[in-house]
Amino acid sequence: TVTEATGNSALPGVGIIIKGTIKGAATDFDGNYSIDNVKPGDVLVFSYIGFNTQEITVGNNTTINVVMVESAESLDEVVVIGYGTTTIKDATGSVAAVTEKDFNKGNIVTPASLISGRVAGVNVTTDGSPGGGSAIRIRGGSSLGASNDPLIVVDGLPISNSTAGGSRSVLASINPNDIESMSILKDASSTAIYGSRASNGVIIITTKKGKSGFNVDINFKAGYQTLADKIEVFSGDEYRTLIADRVAAGQGGISIEQLGNANTDWQDAIYEEKFTFDQSVSVSGALFNNVPARVSWGNTKQPGLRKTSNFERNSLTFNINPSLLDEHLKINFNANISSENNRFASGVEGAAIYFDPTQPIYDATSPFGGFFEYHTNGIRDNAGRNPLASLLQRENTSIVDRLYGNLEFDYKLKFLPELRAVLNLGYDRSYGVGSNILSTESINGFRFEEDGVVSYIGEESEYTSERKNLLLDAYLAYNKELENLNIEATAGYSYQKFTAEDFNTGNMRDPEAERDTNTHPDVVLLGFFARTNLSFMDKYLLTLSYRRDGTSRFNSDNRWGNFPAAALAWKINEEDFLKDSNIISELKLRLGWGITGQQDIPASYAFLGRHVTGDSFSQYIFGNSAVVVGIPQSKFEDIKWEETTTYNAGFDYGFFNDKIKGSIEVYLKESNDLLANVAVADGSNFSNAGWQNIGKFTSKGLEFAIGSDIVSTDDLNVNVSYNLNLNRTEIDELAFGQDIEVGGIGGGTGSRIQVHREGFAPYSYLVYKQLYDTAGAPIEGAYADINQDGIINTSDRYIYKKPNADITMGFQSGINYKDFDLVFNLRASFGNYMYNNVNSSRAQYNLLQDVTALGNIPTAVLETNFVETANVLISDYYLENASFLKMDNLNLGYTFNKFNSDISSIRVWTGVQNVFTITNYSGLDPEVFGGIDNTIYPRPRTFLMGANIKF
Amino acid sequence: CTNELDVTPKDDDEFLSEDFYASTDSYRQALAGIYGNLSLTGTTGPASSNLQGIDAGTSQYGRTLWYLQDLAADEVIWSYENDEGGAVKAIQRNTWSSSNTILLGFFSRAMFSVALTNDFLRQSSEENLASRGHSAISSEIKTYRAEARLLRALAYYHLMDLFGKAAFVTENDPIGVYQGPEYNREQLFTFIESELKAIEGDLVGANQNEYARADKAVAWMILAKMYLNAEVYIGQNKYTECLTYCNKIIGGGFSLASNYSYNFLADNDYNEAGQNEIIFPLVVDSKVTQNWGPTTVIINGEVGSLEGNAVALGVDNGWGGALRVRKQFADKFLNGDVPLTDKRNTLTTEGREVEIIDVGDRDSGYIISKYKNIGVDGSRGGVHFEFVNTDFPLFRLADVYLMYAEAVVRGGSGGTMGEAVVYVNALRNRANSTTITSNDLTLNFLIDERSRELHWEGHRRQDLIRFGLFTGGNYNWAWKGGSPNGIALSSHLDIYPMPANNMAANPNLTQNPGY
Repeated sequence: TVTEATGNSALPGVGIIIKGTIKGAATDFDGNYSIDNVKPGDVLVFSYIGFNTQEITVGNNTTINVVMVESAESLDEVVVIGYGTTTIKDATGSVAAVTEKDFNKGNIVTPASLISGRVAGVNVTTDGSPGGGSAIRIRGGSSLGASNDPLIVVDGLPISNSTAGGSRSVLASINPNDIESMSILKDASSTAIYGSRASNGVIIITTKKGKSGFNVDINFKAGYQTLADKIEVFSGDEYRTLIADRVAAGQGGISIEQLGNANTDWQDAIYEEKFTFDQSVSVSGALFNNVPARVSWGNTKQPGLRKTSNFERNSLTFNINPSLLDEHLKINFNANISSENNRFASGVEGAAIYFDPTQPIYDATSPFGGFFEYHTNGIRDNAGRNPLASLLQRENTSIVDRLYGNLEFDYKLKFLPELRAVLNLGYDRSYGVGSNILSTESINGFRFEEDGVVSYIGEESEYTSERKNLLLDAYLAYNKELENLNIEATAGYSYQKFTAEDFNTGNMRDPEAERDTNTHPDVVLLGFFARTNLSFMDKYLLTLSYRRDGTSRFNSDNRWGNFPAAALAWKINEEDFLKDSNIISELKLRLGWGITGQQDIPASYAFLGRHVTGDSFSQYIFGNSAVVVGIPQSKFEDIKWEETTTYNAGFDYGFFNDKIKGSIEVYLKESNDLLANVAVADGSNFSNAGWQNIGKFTSKGLEFAIGSDIVSTDDLNVNVSYNLNLNRTEIDELAFGQDIEVGGIGGGTGSRIQVHREGFAPYSYLVYKQLYDTAGAPIEGAYADINQDGIINTSDRYIYKKPNADITMGFQSGINYKDFDLVFNLRASFGNYMYNNVNSSRAQYNLLQDVTALGNIPTAVLETNFVETANVLISDYYLENASFLKMDNLNLGYTFNKFNSDISSIRVWTGVQNVFTITNYSGLDPEVFGGIDNTIYPRPRTFLMGANIKF
Repeated sequence: CTNELDVTPKDDDEFLSEDFYASTDSYRQALAGIYGNLSLTGTTGPASSNLQGIDAGTSQYGRTLWYLQDLAADEVIWSYENDEGGAVKAIQRNTWSSSNTILLGFFSRAMFSVALTNDFLRQSSEENLASRGHSAISSEIKTYRAEARLLRALAYYHLMDLFGKAAFVTENDPIGVYQGPEYNREQLFTFIESELKAIEGDLVGANQNEYARADKAVAWMILAKMYLNAEVYIGQNKYTECLTYCNKIIGGGFSLASNYSYNFLADNDYNEAGQNEIIFPLVVDSKVTQNWGPTTVIINGEVGSLEGNAVALGVDNGWGGALRVRKQFADKFLNGDVPLTDKRNTLTTEGREVEIIDVGDRDSGYIISKYKNIGVDGSRGGVHFEFVNTDFPLFRLADVYLMYAEAVVRGGSGGTMGEAVVYVNALRNRANSTTITSNDLTLNFLIDERSRELHWEGHRRQDLIRFGLFTGGNYNWAWKGGSPNGIALSSHLDIYPMPANNMAANPNLTQNPGY
């Protein structure tokens, strides 16, 4: 019988093999096993994922009971990779695994936050909204116009990056408490098995499974969200002084008579500090004493800082893993049901900054629900709108139900146990229902006029949205251990289909609105894949993989792409000259190469000749009748795969019996035939731009990770880990050397601040060079004549800085003293610049004049004394170094072990999320994905406490 | 199951082209698409666009044309100079460069008309009609094809006028990434001229087609305009040919509306101006043809920052003083040349200074209220008051009268001074202005009179160039060249630079001199 050390319960599925042979067996559910023809002196090798492998020499006893010891160390080492698993020790590619015990703590609402800052080269930019999406970039992305999101695979099911309408984000429906581990595959040799979708890396999420032994796990967490910072604008009293000064100085269009008597902080008015709750219960054990199963329930309530904003998630997961046919057929069934309940609060930060602080929030005489608004006898004036009324008078809600899961059959052939046949069927469907209602009391409503009487009748619209994803994977896996050579081979087929449909009623209070169902094109992906891992003398490892992928996005001549990869690893520490070293306990050299593909662009069939008919607002009138227009669509017949070639070289190292361990690696990613939406010669196609393969792009960098248990005694344990990523991305080539302007900004219709240009980082800022007077103050509207033609015009814009960091770092530390534990993590980013669009489009004196009212402006105006937005909007003055150091989380806990006979442990803890930020950036938060800060949903500072009870 | 990879459109608004053309109705829809490109920017409402690199609303055909012809000249100023990253500012201050997005917008929009026409001509060929069993409607299709070719010629006419060149692409060239050869002004002139003459027979008679569809008079109008400007375009005097076509239009059954303002009202699609005076409109409708086109922008823009006259103009709120006039334009009405009672004078002067010292100060400078979203009967147009119902009169009879007069004064034969005076006085009488005699009918008079009659209708830059007043220093207006009182401009600015991105995508295109 094989049992586990801690719970003393039977361990099923333990692999047992007679060393040096292929003879073996596995334990049944009760942990029993038997092997025939074992001779005394044979060595039995017992192995099980997450436990130390044991070797026992057979004596005369015919019964050998083994106690397997769970090793924290080895737990780390298991890495789920595409269509299989490996261990860190045997990995040839750049893979990182973060398991539950290393996950970030604190106010974690969506899975991406679990690994933020944990892995070198993986950057997660969260959103301040509750349940909001995170932008995840692995090694800086690989594409200019196509998706830069990594592929996310949940229990073998690749999920779509498209969310159903009404959902906060693709990962919002997954309860982080159900996640066992996340594997991050960074280089092509590990991702190429996913071929067409692997260019931006792969994140494999493995959910918790049932184990033997009855376990109950209860988590409870409560938090209080506070507003960490606000944008500095003039207070009511300051504002009265300012207006008086400006009027005295001769500024037109404003007058003291327009001022009110109130002192309103409009930012305070729109935010509310609120409690958050998160609770989950999971029960795992064996059904009928034989079938591992786990069921869990989770509930999260995250209101968010903006008033009315709310996110609530209920999730129910169930999995069951029976083994049939004498352990030859393993079935793994995962089903997850979740429901998101949202109320969206629109971004009124801009209005809150701008609204006159001398006006009150409420006005008893107001016909608009008692809120102060600018109106003349009930007819709205051309002025700003009360931001609090805008929030409270709108009810924008949604419920998104999602059902996803997979059913996997893993069959070990009776007569050839080295060969397994695996069939994985996956299903993922999200269905959102939402409505958006604006009160009839709102000044922002639809304005209806009948017989000369104007009334505001609000808005009302409803929508439904569905996203569906079907998967079928079938593959054969072969594993054979020969003397000095271990062979693993996998080959299979994958089919996945995505469908999407949206329905929207339009504004039902508008008699002319149009209802429309929008059926998105299907996307179908097919793949054939094969991989082999060869391990020679357990020192030399070779991985070869190949995938051939087909996509419905390209025409039949171009739709198939071939994606090979190869990797070599050499465990140098296994060589004789290092084997006995006391210093170096691990040293592995890894070299990898591979090609991956990219086809994830919005255009689903640009190669087809299509016509689109206009909606009800897009008709033309012939005589007295409106004729729906029929417009041919852009056609790019030759569009094909974007291909990324990745080179990766690295060392994994361990010193002093792995007391210090880590890795260092360098990588180079070259993307060719970049897919981007770029200009096409006018007149020959049905737009001036479209999806084409147009250039080259490189991303290169260095990653370094180190970790150590610096103190490890009975009472005190201290561990630290640090990771560093240097990354540089550059556009090498764009078709015809053209510029692609991107980065839309606030402050002028159609204005953009960024550019893709050959020789520069993507999204580099394209700005005017500000001139300064002798005192060092910026001169309004005075720019350097870069091309020296005597005129300052758009040709004088130059490239200055970029939003992406040169260096990112993460640092974590955990300290355990007796039953106390303290963890914190720090994240730093250097060389990232931010365009402060809050100031560039608002901090100018002329904006004190709203059309018929007064407007407030950021106090940053005092540093520039700029008057006119148009003169300064595109100035490099507003580009700021947004390097930062952040402590995301600080968490202190105490564990009552062996609490009583029923409860095995209780941990109580308290913590702070978003502890501090150190930066020179003058705006609210230096972390805004994309590098344009035009007000954000502020990230709350949350004070937390919670308990974890285990039975 | 690799067949699974062959996906086709499933949405009810999207079709494979061969499925779209299975129905005989589709030809009318496709033709509406080519016309629609003069008004619509996309297929899903006013925020959608078939083009990229420019804000959807700003990319509208008439609006970019209006920016390039009127905003660049002496009649109007736009207050929000930060729009399009300062591109609008550069247009109105004559400091544009090849990276200006307004230029990109118009070039691409006009070339989109070319592409749409070419596709229609391919799809509606005799062979295609026959193979689809649609030969029965071939006579109707013949008219459609002529109109499509007219719209392509119109696009090339505008490109020739603004850029002096364009990529030449016809229905015989492939779809996709084909790079058309560059045609210079002379080549374009010759092409447009021969094309319009070739289709004349297939077009419906003057003022005979459905409203908003082009007829023979539209082809004549383009020809008349080309001949009037032929000295600028190709260095040849073609005033006689201009008069030939002016005479054809004048004889085509058009007449002046009884009231000048009717041309610019919400019901100008069916009031007497729409019926009799407007030769070709760019259609807008607040319900079915929504766009951020010239009349939407103008009427919202006319609403003053001080006046709050949105309701009087028939819009919801207006844009707080987006548009004002430059001093030199105001002077055309106020300097005594015409009485203040001239109905074409819609200036609001009270409480305002005529000078605009700071472009961003929307309280300075006079405003006008020429266009309104109000019908002859005083009712507002439509339900969505941010959008308007007022069509943009691209070509109207009054212009033909003034062209006639100018061609006569410039020595063309086929017209008389007497008739010219009659035509000009017809306009002045309608406007409740003073009449003129043949002695008054000079070029100096005509350039000012054109502004009084046709201001904000998309003609001004072309007119000033023809009179030699656009560049150089003979006539400086406020903010010309970016200076409050105006400065002389280099003559290379008579032609806009080729937009950089459009040139990059088609290496056959070359830059204009001076840029």
